[in-house]
This record gives sequence, C-alpha cells and structure tokens, in this order.
Amino acid sequence: MMLSRSTFSRNAPRALQKQCSAAGASSRRGMASAATPGLQYDVSESAGVKVANREVAGPTSTLALVAKAGPRYQPVPGFSDALEQFAFKSTLKRSALRINREVELLGGEVSSTHSRENVVLKAKFLSGDLPYFAELLAEVASQTKFAAHELSEVVLKTLKYRQQAFAANPEALAVDAAHAVAFHRGLGESITPSTTVPLEKYLSAEALHEYAQQAFAKSNIALVGSGASSADVSKWVGDFFKAVPSGAQLQSAASKYYGGEQRVSTKAGNALVIAFPGSGAFGTAAYKPEASVLAALLGGESSIKWTPGFSLLAQATQGFSQVRASTQNLTYSDAGLFTIALSGKADQITSVGKNAVDLLKKVAAGEVAAEEIKKAVALAKFRALESAQTLETGLEATGSALINGSKPYQIGEVAQSIDAVTEAQVQDVAKSFLSGKASVATVGDLFQLPYGEDLGLTV
Amino acid sequence: MSAPSLASYIVKRPFLKRWMMPIAQWYTDASGYRRLGLKADDLIPEENDVVQKALKRLPPKEAYDRVFRIRRAFQCSISHTLLPAAEQTKPEEDVEYLSPIIREIEKEKQEREDLDALVVRR
Repeated sequence: MMLSRSTFSRNAPRALQKQCSAAGASSRRGMASAATPGLQYDVSESAGVKVANREVAGPTSTLALVAKAGPRYQPVPGFSDALEQFAFKSTLKRSALRINREVELLGGEVSSTHSRENVVLKAKFLSGDLPYFAELLAEVASQTKFAAHELSEVVLKTLKYRQQAFAANPEALAVDAAHAVAFHRGLGESITPSTTVPLEKYLSAEALHEYAQQAFAKSNIALVGSGASSADVSKWVGDFFKAVPSGAQLQSAASKYYGGEQRVSTKAGNALVIAFPGSGAFGTAAYKPEASVLAALLGGESSIKWTPGFSLLAQATQGFSQVRASTQNLTYSDAGLFTIALSGKADQITSVGKNAVDLLKKVAAGEVAAEEIKKAVALAKFRALESAQTLETGLEATGSALINGSKPYQIGEVAQSIDAVTEAQVQDVAKSFLSGKASVATVGDLFQLPYGEDLGLTV
Repeated sequence: MSAPSLASYIVKRPFLKRWMMPIAQWYTDASGYRRLGLKADDLIPEENDVVQKALKRLPPKEAYDRVFRIRRAFQCSISHTLLPAAEQTKPEEDVEYLSPIIREIEKEKQEREDLDALVVRR
C-alpha cells in the first residue's frame, strides 16, 4: 500500500485542528486536568462510614462496598472466599431468591469479588434505584444469616470449583507462590485456598458470622460510588448504614519482604514468576513510581495490535512463540510486588527466563536508550490513570485508600510523580532488585524448569 | 406432609386449650411411640423431597441421634418388647427437631412459586 504525501498533507491540518479544539474543550470539560469533576472523588463520612463518590453524568450508577477483609486479614484459610460467596445470600429480612428476583426486576447487577486485601461487594443499577441498592448493601453487610445449610449446599460447592479452577491455572499458582515466599504471612496468604487445604475443618457458619461482624464493621468498610450525585449517596448511606455494627479494624502485621524460592510440581502447565519488592499503592510510604516505569519498560505484552511492541521482554521473546511474558507491579496498601511472569512451554520458559534476567541487568547497567524509557514512562502513566478511571480497579483502590487512611487517588499527582521519574531512578531500582533477594516461583514440569540461581538471581 | 388440623384453632383459644390438653397428652402417650424411645418428628414420612432435604440439613448430632432412635425402635419392634421406663421418651424430651426445618423448606418452596407467578404492575 502506498500513502501519498498529499493524503498526509491534507489530513495534517485537520488533525491539528482537532487537537486544538480538543484542548479547548478540555479546559471546559477538564478531561485530564487535576480538577476533573468526573474523576475526582468527593470524600465524606455519613453515619460513621467513609464514603467516596464521583459524579459522572449518565443514567447508571455503581455503588461498591469495600471491606478490608481479604485473605491478608482472615483468621483461617477460606474465610475471605466464603465471605465473598455469602454476599447477597439470605438475610434476616429476605431470602437469597427474593434478593435475586428483586435485583432482576430493577434491572441491576450485583457481584462480589475479593483481592488479597479486600472483599468488594458491588452493585450497578439505574441511578433512580440508588436507595434500594444502598439498603441492600447495608442489609448484606449487617444482617446476612450465614445459614449452615447455605454454607454446605451452595458456598462450599462453589468454593470447591474455584479451588479446582485455581489449581488448573499455573500462572496464578506461580504468582501465589511468589507472594508466599516474598511476604510469608499476611500478603503471602493464598488468594484462594489450594485443593489440599482442609476447608471443612476451618469453615463453619458461626465462625463466618463472627468474622463478618468484624469485616463489615463501620471502621473496616468504605463505600465508593460512581454516577449518582454525592448528596444522594451520602444521604442514603447515612440512612441505611446506621445499623451496621461499629468495631475495631481488622489488623495484620506490617508487610516485610523475605524472598526465596518455591517449586511446585503440577501437570496443569508451566509457569515461572520472578518477583522483587515493588511499589506500594499511591499515597503510601512504599510508593515508588520508578517500579511501575520499569514494569512498563520490561513489559512483555504489546498494547498495540500486530506488533511485539517496544517493551524489552516482548523484543526478547520474539523468537519464542510458545511462551507468554508479562511484567506487572502489584500494589498493596503497605508494600508491592514486582513480578515477571512467564508461562508456556517449559524449555522456552527457561531460555526466556535467562533473557529476562539479562535484560534486568542491562537496565541496571544503564544500557537502555533514553527513548525507550520515555515510552515506558508514557505507558506507566497511562496504565496508572486508566486503572483509576476504570470502575473495576478504581473503586477498590479508592475504597482501600479510604479505609487505610492514606491519600485517595489524586489523578494529577499520580501523573506528576510518574512524569518525574528519571533514567537514573529506573536504573537504581533495577540495581536494587539485582542486589537484593529475589522471589522465584516455579510451577509445572520441574525437571525442565530452572532454579533461580540458574537464571543468575540471588535467592 | 401436613394434614388438615384443628390444632391452631384450639391453641388460640385458652379455654379450649385447657380443656383439650389432657386429652391430647393422653392420646399422644397412648399412641405408644414414646415407649419405643421415638420422638413425634421421627414418625414423619420421609419419602419425599422436602423431608429428604430437611434431613440433610439436620445438624450432625441430631441426625446421629435420629438414626439411633429409629434403629432402637426397630429392634424393639422385632423382639416384641418395650424399652425400660428410664429409656422411654419423656414428654419434655418429645420436642420438634425436624418440623421447623421442614416448615422453612416449605416456605422457601412457596416463595419460589409465588415469585414465579408474580405479575409486575408499574
């Protein structure tokens, strides 16, 4: 295909014009400025519950209850999973079936998830139904029955399937094992208990009920809304969350990085995760924007179609078609984990693993072009801002920040801090990774997969 | 599983209740299941889905005791004997342990049927 020069020259002024008008509009709408009305959360407190809301124009709204009750805080294995599954089950006022049918009639959507630190109950609905869903969330938080038969007939059965799905995903297993060696307890707790954990021994309806009382105590939860007007949200939350028990926050020891190596034999597939102490969430002491830039620089997955992309790992894996590489910086409230995850064929993982460590050494030696780092900064900035903007990630991050009393996500400041990252900082963080202890988790065919030391890491 | 009954009509009227209670107690005692060590709820026919589900929901200890009582009564029946007086069920022990669960399941079933037949008017 040929592009004639005239095509370009004809479109160029138009594109320029568009950009200018976009800039003009942005001063009115404030698409990316710090004072964006649509993206900034209004933080308030009603009935002793922390509430954050952003007013986004549109007919639908989202309200999420974030509780600091993930595996990190659970007293015994499986509690966070069970608590998540028990959301929207029978309460003292209505049965699970009734909740289900009512939500269907209103055309809403309710769901629950959990991460390592939080359990999130989420409702999406037409903005007019806000009172109903605020009441529903309050009822679920404070009046769930925890019937023994629901535990045995529904929750335990679903949990079994989830355990099996988890056991069949080598990469998830490896990331989990990497957390375990990196943090031991707390953040190192398995996100879903493995199939060999004796769940029946730990889970009982009464114990779960007690845990829920602590997990959904006023100081331990935050409500995050998006869409409806802030006045409405705080009014209805104030009305319905009065009855929620007040109590102390769930506590866990501060995270400490250990590092080490773990090898898990399985037939499910092969995965290798190399992890280092990364950046914590924005607004915490552990926040290091340079780690997220390094994650974007190493990368592995392309953000553009039909090209491996600029990232170093993607370039290095070009010859290896049967391995998938990705680098991430997983952030938590007081620590972070920088992970390079490889999955695919065992022999290719071995070679790519060596390449990845060599690349890290190259970055530490400063042998990376300044241009690449500029691209990485842009990508890291995009990812950080996008995750704040997207509902799924943004709601939890905001809620978690509110509960832990750190700064809620400030779009402008995040962008500034990432922009300020210099080449030297990236080089330093790579150096610190290589000089410290790594966490290496290998899952799959252990006969072929390498040890951390074979890759050139200190573990 | 429930047959038509006047019980709730009588219980609501204290004078009737006072009058009927001795007869009811005599009748229950005369029916003889207590002398085989059973409870009234052990006699509920279990060959239907609702009661089967209720039996599954019994706490483990209750389920064990139920099986024990039924087997003991079966033995008594085979050998044509009654239990010694000390082992027979006392009136205060003869409480509902299964019926509340059955009622709950029937309520759930009824609710499902009602919701399925729901007509929404806006």
